[in-house]
Amino acid sequence: MITLYILGAASTVLTLLGFFVPARVTRWLATGSVAASIVYLFFTWGQRQTAFGGLYVVDPISQGFTLVALLGVLWALLVGRSEKWEFSLLLLYAATGMHFMASSPNLPVLLIALEVFSLPLYVLATWRRDEPGFEAGLKYFLLGALSAAIFLYGIALHFGATGSFNAGVQGSGPLYAAALLLILGALAFKVSLVPFHWWTPDVYQGSPTTVSLMMATAVKAAGFAALVRVLNVQDQGLWGLGLGALIALTVIFGNLGALAQRESKRLLAYSSIAHAGYVGLGLYSGTGTAAIGFYLLAYLLSTGLAFAVLAAISQGDVPYERLRGLLYRKPLLGVAMGVGLLSLAGLPPFAGFWGKLLVFLEAAKAQQWGLLVLALLTSAVAAYYYLRLFNLVVARGEATEAAIPAPGAGTPVLAGQSAGGLSLATGRLAAWPLVIASALVVLLGILPGLGYRLFSPTPFAALSRPASTAPATLPATFAITSPSDGAELRAGEFSLQGTGRAGETLEVWDSGSRIAEVRVDERGGWSLVLPSLPGVGEHTYQVRRPGEGEGPSVRVRIVE
Amino acid sequence: MDALLHVGLFLPLLAGIALLIWPSLGRRLAVAASGVTFLIAAWLFARASGEAYTFQALLLEPIQMYYALRLDGVGLVLWLAVALTTLLAVFIAKVPTRMLGWALLMESGLLGIFAADDLILFYVFFEATLIPSLLMLGLYGGRERLKAAYTFALFTLAGSLPMLAALFAVRYLGGAPSFLYSDLAAHPVSGSVADWVFLGFLVAFAVKTPLFPLHAWLPSFHAENHPSGLADAMGTLYKVGLFAFFKWAIPLAPEGFAQFQGLLLVVAAFSAIYAAWLAFAAKDWKRLLAYGGVSHMGLGALGLFSGNAEGVTGALFLLAASMVYTGGLFLVVGRIAERTETLEIGPVRGIAKSAPALSVLTMFLVMAMIGLPGLSGFPGEFMALLGAWKISPWLTFIAFTAVIAAAAYALTAYQALFQEEQNRVVSDLTPREWAFAVAIVAGVVLAGVYPKMFTQMIHPLSEALAKLLGGGA
Repeated sequence: MITLYILGAASTVLTLLGFFVPARVTRWLATGSVAASIVYLFFTWGQRQTAFGGLYVVDPISQGFTLVALLGVLWALLVGRSEKWEFSLLLLYAATGMHFMASSPNLPVLLIALEVFSLPLYVLATWRRDEPGFEAGLKYFLLGALSAAIFLYGIALHFGATGSFNAGVQGSGPLYAAALLLILGALAFKVSLVPFHWWTPDVYQGSPTTVSLMMATAVKAAGFAALVRVLNVQDQGLWGLGLGALIALTVIFGNLGALAQRESKRLLAYSSIAHAGYVGLGLYSGTGTAAIGFYLLAYLLSTGLAFAVLAAISQGDVPYERLRGLLYRKPLLGVAMGVGLLSLAGLPPFAGFWGKLLVFLEAAKAQQWGLLVLALLTSAVAAYYYLRLFNLVVARGEATEAAIPAPGAGTPVLAGQSAGGLSLATGRLAAWPLVIASALVVLLGILPGLGYRLFSPTPFAALSRPASTAPATLPATFAITSPSDGAELRAGEFSLQGTGRAGETLEVWDSGSRIAEVRVDERGGWSLVLPSLPGVGEHTYQVRRPGEGEGPSVRVRIVE
Repeated sequence: MDALLHVGLFLPLLAGIALLIWPSLGRRLAVAASGVTFLIAAWLFARASGEAYTFQALLLEPIQMYYALRLDGVGLVLWLAVALTTLLAVFIAKVPTRMLGWALLMESGLLGIFAADDLILFYVFFEATLIPSLLMLGLYGGRERLKAAYTFALFTLAGSLPMLAALFAVRYLGGAPSFLYSDLAAHPVSGSVADWVFLGFLVAFAVKTPLFPLHAWLPSFHAENHPSGLADAMGTLYKVGLFAFFKWAIPLAPEGFAQFQGLLLVVAAFSAIYAAWLAFAAKDWKRLLAYGGVSHMGLGALGLFSGNAEGVTGALFLLAASMVYTGGLFLVVGRIAERTETLEIGPVRGIAKSAPALSVLTMFLVMAMIGLPGLSGFPGEFMALLGAWKISPWLTFIAFTAVIAAAAYALTAYQALFQEEQNRVVSDLTPREWAFAVAIVAGVVLAGVYPKMFTQMIHPLSEALAKLLGGGA
């Protein structure tokens, strides 16, 4: 709740205050309020909250995805300094919308949240006030409006099919399938899955680099938060096929498109398309929220590094050749770019590797072998174009272009670009986000658990436990002790509890699909807070040993 | 013992990072760090009691991935070889200081490959080692370095991704509760899944063995690397394919291996002969050594794929021994190239007169490579071929011609450089080179005259593998 208050109040106050104080102050206040929201998030991490009759829910999905989105906004605020105060303000409005998007299970509210964060972005896209800028803004706006209409249509059908405005309610029939497919299509536009991606390269290229940075990171986080809630239904049916087709097209065309680029921002645009496809893999298993969250965090840090470096070079186009030998001319920018690119390519020991690994594991759990193999093949293509850029960055000599402003070196040099009043971050400030992000990419690469646990239902568990030696034979003594069989429960949060043999891992299934794995503690008990709000109706929860077909189960009824 | 394991593994990494940031720390730091690592490896080796050194900590709970290390007999022998070669390499190679840092980073990765007991951890080390290797080539290589780097990266990544798919399949289709070796080996995959899993591993590990036709990255990799031979020596250590087959691919999908065994034996034998043939035609020392290495790994692979205890022990011994002598040869060639300013075979002749000690040292290592009894190349080659003979005498006989060929191409090149009519005067060994020579000769002779010291560490594990495969012979 407080997160929403901070962001909402700050945007409202700054809208008025901005007229009277210098732009610098507005920026500091905006940055401060986003930072305060992040700090508050951390202090209340893992606590759940509901408000407005269930229209606003703070749960692991909300917290995890808000964190990623706010970090993206924070970064844009730090990297892109504008002489105009509206720039910071618009970012703040977008942050508010994104937080709400991540925190509502209600479809109409999701649509409103979507519009709240999209409108500022349409304006920001035109910020450079030049030809490509206007093109970007107009394209983004028109297609955005179209996708909102599609979303609305989907909501209407969803209500018709299930009688509910809540995301994740199980339904059936062609109407229901059409509803989910429409919503999927609308959200696919926001996270740019092929074939809803056509706007992406032009908009990223035409927008100021810092805005592109935010579109690539924060917007995706908000979009996937909604997707996770909407697609959290047990029976995949038609939308499973639809999603599969989108993912397949995305990883193929995103990567092939990137291969053909000669300009860095367009490359990152295509790379962001391809990455959206990989994230989508995590949607299948039903337990992939944490994997998706971690992927987005890793992607935010890595692509953020790349965008921030480009922003330091120019807010406009950056042809590949301008990156040649960057490492020797500007060591800090070079190292940051190198770390970002290797992480994007998915090489260990960088965070991007674990993101890929985790979503691939989710796909493997869901037995999506075809998509998995396709994703692996296209990863090789991706590695090639990232490494090509990486090679340029570390290539010695032959520098053709010297006018790159140094972080921490005073006046910005805009290489022939009018940035429409948007100056470059060139103070000391620009250096430390790069250093921190690079360090985080490496840290999360070495200790992925630090990030992964943030998105799990039970964060901040002990970092590492001494490995218990797996017992050779397991007696069949494991059961669900709570809730009892036939219980009637109110919709909302509840937990499953049970017993088992200390140290072993059990799978929890809900009506025939696996929803989670639990580890039995030293005292032979386990408990699982359900990772998402279960839909209304009858549920059969079953606990199994991995690889075994059956196990004890309970039937419960969830009522409104 | 735990602590030593981690120190040995990460000390080079830390020293490497320090060198990259503050190159003024100089070669002393590199030598000290790799020296301590070598001492640790030797200490662990000397104290080995038949029980492996192990450590486990849960790294990523939801997917049951561990930071698990297990250093058994095979791991110890390979640690020793890697640590010795790295120490010698950073001691002798004349390179920019930062390059020594990259070499140390690579050492950590290599030690990790041999110690990892969790499949994902193994993959992480296997892949991460690529980065310093690639950077050494890309930053300090010759004129065509970028092309060579692309080729290298392409082969490695194209190999690793099928392996990643196999990694998922082996866990989720085999039903193992974690990625630990012991869990995975207890739940091997079977049926057609086993074929595909093995094939996935096969591609990745064949690139790094290297086996024909996936060896194609190797010649340009060596030819374009820094002339000092540092990157080449480290690259030689990175040829971990045989070990990876032994530790992961075969035990996790024995049925798959059985399907491919016949084909693999033929490919291994062909690899040995084909590379030997190309080595004849090589015009410069690095290409000659590169092809020679492929040829010898072909012989090793023949032993490993024979699946019996002798063959497997021989293959792993050969792997460790060739790391030292091939790595050493690359370094010596680097020193010679520094004196003569060329790596080509032919233009410079007869330098033995002015540099007799250098000539003897080179001769010594060449003899080890050829497999002269009493030096470290012989026991491994002999056992590998013996193992292969048991299941396929004809194939072994054909592959054996590669051993003879090795004598011919290596000695021809040696003769051209050292023995023919003198046209160049070069300086003889410096004190630093003398120290290098004494150390490497001691290692090569020790492994040659008393191979039992190492084979007794390897043999129990080879027997276990052979037993798993149904006795082999």
